[in-house]
Amino acid sequence: MRYVVGYTDTSSGRDALALAVRLARTTGARLDLVLVLANEARPTLVPADPGYEKFLRETAEGWLAQAVAAVPADLQATPHVVYAESPSDGLLEAVETLKAELVVIGAARGGILGRFSLGSDANALLHSATVPVALAPDRSGEPGTDAPISRVTCAIGTRPGADELLAAAIGATRRGGVPLRLVSLVALDRPADPAHPDAVARAEAHAASVLEEALSHLPADIAVTSEVASGHRIEDAVTTLEWDPAEIVLIGSSRLAQPKHLFLGSTAAKMLRELPVPMVVVPRDSSFTIGDLS
Amino acid sequence: MTARDTTNPPTAATAALSKKGLGAGTVGLVGAIVIGISCIAPAYTLTGALGPTVAEVGTHVPAIFLVGFIPMLLVAFGYRELNSRMPDSGTSFTWATRAFGPWIGWMAGWGLIAATIVVLSNLAGIAVDFFYLMLSQIFQNPSIAELTTNPFINVITCLAFMLGATLISYRDMQTTQKLQYVLVGFQLLVMVFFGIVAFIHVGAGDAFDALPISLDWFNPFAVGSFSAFAAGLSLSIFIFWGWDVTLTMSEETKGSASTPGRAATATVVIIVVLYLFLSVALINYAGTGTGEFGLGNEEIQGNVFFSLAGPILGPLAILVSIAVLSSSAASLQSTFVSPARTLLAMGHYGALSPKFSKVHPKFFTPGYATIVSSIVASVFYTVMRFISEDVLWDTITTLGMLICFYYGLTAFACVWYFRKQWFSSARNFFFQFFSPLVGGLILGVLFFTTIIESANPDYGSGSNIGGVGLVFILGMTIIVLGIVIMLVQSRLRPDFFKNRTLARGIAGDSNEAEAALPE
Repeated sequence: MRYVVGYTDTSSGRDALALAVRLARTTGARLDLVLVLANEARPTLVPADPGYEKFLRETAEGWLAQAVAAVPADLQATPHVVYAESPSDGLLEAVETLKAELVVIGAARGGILGRFSLGSDANALLHSATVPVALAPDRSGEPGTDAPISRVTCAIGTRPGADELLAAAIGATRRGGVPLRLVSLVALDRPADPAHPDAVARAEAHAASVLEEALSHLPADIAVTSEVASGHRIEDAVTTLEWDPAEIVLIGSSRLAQPKHLFLGSTAAKMLRELPVPMVVVPRDSSFTIGDLS
Repeated sequence: MTARDTTNPPTAATAALSKKGLGAGTVGLVGAIVIGISCIAPAYTLTGALGPTVAEVGTHVPAIFLVGFIPMLLVAFGYRELNSRMPDSGTSFTWATRAFGPWIGWMAGWGLIAATIVVLSNLAGIAVDFFYLMLSQIFQNPSIAELTTNPFINVITCLAFMLGATLISYRDMQTTQKLQYVLVGFQLLVMVFFGIVAFIHVGAGDAFDALPISLDWFNPFAVGSFSAFAAGLSLSIFIFWGWDVTLTMSEETKGSASTPGRAATATVVIIVVLYLFLSVALINYAGTGTGEFGLGNEEIQGNVFFSLAGPILGPLAILVSIAVLSSSAASLQSTFVSPARTLLAMGHYGALSPKFSKVHPKFFTPGYATIVSSIVASVFYTVMRFISEDVLWDTITTLGMLICFYYGLTAFACVWYFRKQWFSSARNFFFQFFSPLVGGLILGVLFFTTIIESANPDYGSGSNIGGVGLVFILGMTIIVLGIVIMLVQSRLRPDFFKNRTLARGIAGDSNEAEAALPE
């Protein structure tokens, strides 16, 4: 099993690497550190300068060598410098060539309080990847945050049809030997409607029934809890939950996605903005498993 | 590669990944021509250089433009030889160091950086003029065009343009190929249209000061004095500056091995024809007198299209503004690359602070070097705008001098570096010995002539400080400043100056690979 790490010599690149190391510790995957340089064939105003390209490649190899040296010795890590039209293209090509099962990237700078704020590259990846994308929050790569994964939280939508997501969550849970938490988020953006005073209660009841349904399909060997969180907005609902800094969150791709492709849905995008922990977005119909399901 | 890597022997997949990104959409013939024209930026170049050249050689501009191409071509041959043997982002700096050692190499790098910084400030200055001209054309309010003469407004606008260009370079934002084609095509069409309309005015008898075309305009020997000839020549070297890039595109042009040669030839034919056509048209239309729109009028010489577009094209003059603006913008962006990369190489080899060799981890550009170049160019423009009455003209003349300086050194570096193989083939003799030697000698003569002549307070635009020509002061200040900084660096970073980082050598020696890509 291989994970592709979208590496750059920036703090978000180091965030990605740190998360990849934690995940690989849990699953035993080998890491492929991929640094994407701009394709020389792209149109430029000045002709490509072979001298500069060579210098750039050497510099990139130096960065990767340092990163590989920082990976704990019990994990396998290989550096790659690739050329592509855009960083997301380069990572997806690497995923395909290496038959990787997960891409790990760091969220861009600028998120408030260490939360996610997606750059255009991460966004492109989240809307086109064919494998799950793990997002490391800002500054999660700083020393002292290398605890093993403590829990897998799986965000289930209120509409049915998240079988793949659940399967992925079960796989991850088994592999890591950690508990699973299922959560369902309810957002009610309007003030209570006098005609339907029980709207909140009904929505929560519906969410609970979806969770119930999911729970009933879970294998018996998994330690599982479930929670319904509600708020005016999805963001508010997210903040009412308790988050363990060492857990990861799995969420599904939008129903708008093409089969086997990612498309970040609006709920997932809203969650992203609030989540203080790493998040893995799982494509629709993916046969993905962070660990091995089967 | 690290030791860790040996535990992971490269698989087929790994090998497939490490392939270089060449292939798919590599630059074709048309693409190479477009890049070449875009780097030369004919609309910008001609509006900046035509006036000063007329001031030197009068109606013989077409002759000087033709002759000016010769040294450029000869030196470009040498440039190509060095580039294919030692492709390095330091270009002139690296090559001159390899041939002549650290001191001369350092000064060649300094010359390149100074020349590009001077041209950056001139480009931004021309862009400011045309920006306000365009606004005045859009709002049909001539007083807006006057704003550019207010030094404070002018400097602030110029700094804003520099900031924009710096950001674009720093973040390595590239326009699409389609947009490049459109901009270059538009620039050429507008220039041709501008010339045709000028001829129509002459034909209709309502030209400003029609001067009948004469064959004499094309005769370089008819130029009055050698000093005028030399001054004109050093200006016309500037108008072809940037053309050499098409010759060095061999690495990435697709198609047959002859593509780069054909692209360079096609580019230079287009450029020469355009320059001749337009200079003849404008001299024919406006004459070389000192009247309001005469090309001999010192008021308009720093930026002739700015003054002539209106009378010639009337309401369509805005097309010229857009063409010059887009041409300056493209040139501003492509010009930013060379000082930054040379500074990067100098930092890398220890000739300057290692900070210059930092590559931005996300944008993969020489970020520090780009910002330093931008700050220096901005300060240079600001100072010049306040001390010179005719900043654009003076900077163009200084630029000609600096180009002669570093191109000349580069040409001699080529001759000296290949000294053991001059006579091993007719090809080597021509490209590695004869061409660069003659080209270098011409540039050397031009450089010294310009220095001597420019000390005269009446030289060029007539700007002077205490009776000494401003161009002389500028040129000397830049060169002396370079020597001073070099001496300081030699104390701070003796390794480079003791030949330890980039060894002096000769073609084919064991150190060559240090500064060259493996074949």
